[in-house]
Amino acid sequence: MIEIGELSLALAMAVSVYATIASFWGGRTDNDVLIRSGQNAYFAMLGLFTLASVVLLHAFTSRDFTVEYVYNYSSRDLAMFYTISAFWAGQKGSLLLWAWMLSLFGTIAILQNRKKNRHIMPYVTGILSASLIHFSSLMIFASPVFERMSLIPPDGHGLNPMLQNPGMIFHPPTLYIGFVGFAIPFAFAMAALMRRQEGDVWIRSTRRWTIFSWFFLLMGNLLGANWAYVELGWGGYWAWDPVENASFMPWLVGTAYLHSVMIQEKKNMLKFWNVSLVAVTFCLTMFGTFITRSGLISSVHSFGASTVGTQFGFFLILVVVFSVTLIAMRRDMLQSENQLDSILSRESSFLFNNLILLGAAFAVMWGTTFPMISEAVRGVKITVGPPFFNIVMVPIGLFLLVLTGLCPLIAWRKASLDNLKRNFLLPFLAAVLGGAAMLALGMREIMAWLFFVAAVFVMATIVMEFIRGVRSRTAGGKENAVTGTYNLVARNKRRYGGYVIHAGMVAMFVGFTGNVWNRSVEASVKPGQQVKIGGYTVTYMGTEYTKPKPSKEKYAATLLLEQDGQKLGYLRPEKNIYHNLDQLTDEMPMPNSEVAIRSTLKEDLYVIFAALNEDHTATIKVLINPLVIWLWIGGFIMGVGTLIAMWPDKREKKLLDAALAQTTSA
Amino acid sequence: MKKNQTKFLVGGLVIVCAVAYLMYMGIKETSVYYLTVSESQKMAEGKEFRMEGTVVPGTIKVAPDSLGAEFSITDKVKNISINYRGTMPDMFKDDIKVVVQGKLDQAGVFHAHTLLTSCPSKYEASEQGHPK
Repeated sequence: MIEIGELSLALAMAVSVYATIASFWGGRTDNDVLIRSGQNAYFAMLGLFTLASVVLLHAFTSRDFTVEYVYNYSSRDLAMFYTISAFWAGQKGSLLLWAWMLSLFGTIAILQNRKKNRHIMPYVTGILSASLIHFSSLMIFASPVFERMSLIPPDGHGLNPMLQNPGMIFHPPTLYIGFVGFAIPFAFAMAALMRRQEGDVWIRSTRRWTIFSWFFLLMGNLLGANWAYVELGWGGYWAWDPVENASFMPWLVGTAYLHSVMIQEKKNMLKFWNVSLVAVTFCLTMFGTFITRSGLISSVHSFGASTVGTQFGFFLILVVVFSVTLIAMRRDMLQSENQLDSILSRESSFLFNNLILLGAAFAVMWGTTFPMISEAVRGVKITVGPPFFNIVMVPIGLFLLVLTGLCPLIAWRKASLDNLKRNFLLPFLAAVLGGAAMLALGMREIMAWLFFVAAVFVMATIVMEFIRGVRSRTAGGKENAVTGTYNLVARNKRRYGGYVIHAGMVAMFVGFTGNVWNRSVEASVKPGQQVKIGGYTVTYMGTEYTKPKPSKEKYAATLLLEQDGQKLGYLRPEKNIYHNLDQLTDEMPMPNSEVAIRSTLKEDLYVIFAALNEDHTATIKVLINPLVIWLWIGGFIMGVGTLIAMWPDKREKKLLDAALAQTTSA
Repeated sequence: MKKNQTKFLVGGLVIVCAVAYLMYMGIKETSVYYLTVSESQKMAEGKEFRMEGTVVPGTIKVAPDSLGAEFSITDKVKNISINYRGTMPDMFKDDIKVVVQGKLDQAGVFHAHTLLTSCPSKYEASEQGHPK
């Protein structure tokens, strides 16, 4: 069985080489047989990676511990749910998942476009196949997923208890979908350059791929934050760790790209900028894997040292050299056909939004690689922690939030005073009133106040746009408010989907701002003793010991929660001890805390059971994290907005068809 | 036409400079040395820095309230005593690699307010006791 997996990976590598050569060659010589053959080879890779994945999944579910990867990430008493998710618990399986997704997404993109985008598709297939050479060779040489154990262990090493959490099942695949998805717009952009295809066909053809990948990248980060929050038990959700930053950077640049393509579609400007952005985004999806797996950057997420990082580094250099050379050679194609007119215009506000997003990405990159740079330049390792990112990113975030309100409403070309008054006077007044109200209510934290005022401003612009749109539809009397809203959104999916996404972003910023009021208290308490924080009273009742399975001991503390004399209920944070049943190693038992969280729209009460002491006291830490829930709510709203923006749209299709017709006739 | 474009160049430059300034301030205000145990011997007392090392087996003495511990770490050349106050990370035990942040006192004991652990073999996170 395992041999089938190994064989399919070896075949996949051979096929990827063939698909690359056949596609590029076929494209160059306009040889339809070769082009078709290259595409078929690409489809075959999907079959081969699927087969390899099925083999690995079967090895997991049948507890085949002769496979090193299965041995290292699962054990006999691991629930089936987590046994399946162990597929991507480690690097080797993650790479297989990544390759499988790339072959799947590529196949879908080829099927969607092989007729209408006949000209550039051979190059798209070639570029995607070349990426698959990288992945399949990794899985054969540097990171063999089907590597065997030298002896047959009776039980597996088990899955790290921290990964035995629902968040960990969804977080990695979501992030990979985002990473992999950006390969599609990248391949189309490069293919259009290679084929000298003028215009924005490649942008329009991949518009939905871009927003889809962008959204999954965001969700991947957000699910990771949520997992860290509920599972890691230090009370926060984001720590500016290199691994987190690595997946945040492509999102920032991807966001810039998502916005700047609109300028190209509308004004035939920023062509050079857009191909560069999509190339940078794609490189950054690789860069993260490169820095964290190569050992260049130390992170609290420690990765096993391997040659995977080196090969990712080489692949990255190859992609950079390829993109830069290609863009430089085709710069004649990338001339702007229009000029910026006024600094008070949609175009320029988008430009500033782009600059600030890139600035943010650069700052994150700088902070992440700073230890490496300082060591190389000055010979001493200097590190920056979360405070660096807070200093830099908080003002940037504020500026971005304000732009979120300005960009969509400011007039194209040149905003007149009338336009500014019409679109911004009311939101501005709302922000002033809201700000005054917050001051009157006693808010004194200046940064938080600024963020809230900006949030009011942006929400007011969005609400005003909806009201205005619905009003103009209901004016004729044929539509009521509900059908009017529906039709408004349905006929301008992209625009109103965008507004909804912006509203979600505002909610997330509100969630971030809550950090300003974080409080915590730590105490060792005897049964019956209380801890008081922020109007809450937490009474320790006692600890219950159970042993739910041979490998797990559970200490569950019971805490009575009261607020202003009112009983709110019980909280049960746990301290679990995981024993390793693997007989090949004699590892120490591993403790793992399960926190208890009570969420409201106003704040989270977050309790960590730190230790049960010998004198029968329990050490608990109680945190109040205001507004955290708005982060998850914001993510949900953004999901709705993304769905609206991605929904098939007649007008977008018409525009694409028109663009296609123009290129084929040219 | 030319003049028109200058405006955007200036606007862009303002943004670039603002971000550069923020980064400069961020580095200046928050960067700390990241040293090995041996390198830390040269540090003056009272200066904040980060240090990595391996926990010397048998040296861990957890505080009675479990909100801190005294232990030694080593880089195989030199040892240093650590006095940590804060929540104990789950992964903290003998022989693991830790990163501590804090200051040296006159006696050469390192007072840490941050203790990070990392598990050596697997690729998973261990952000217990993470700095906030």
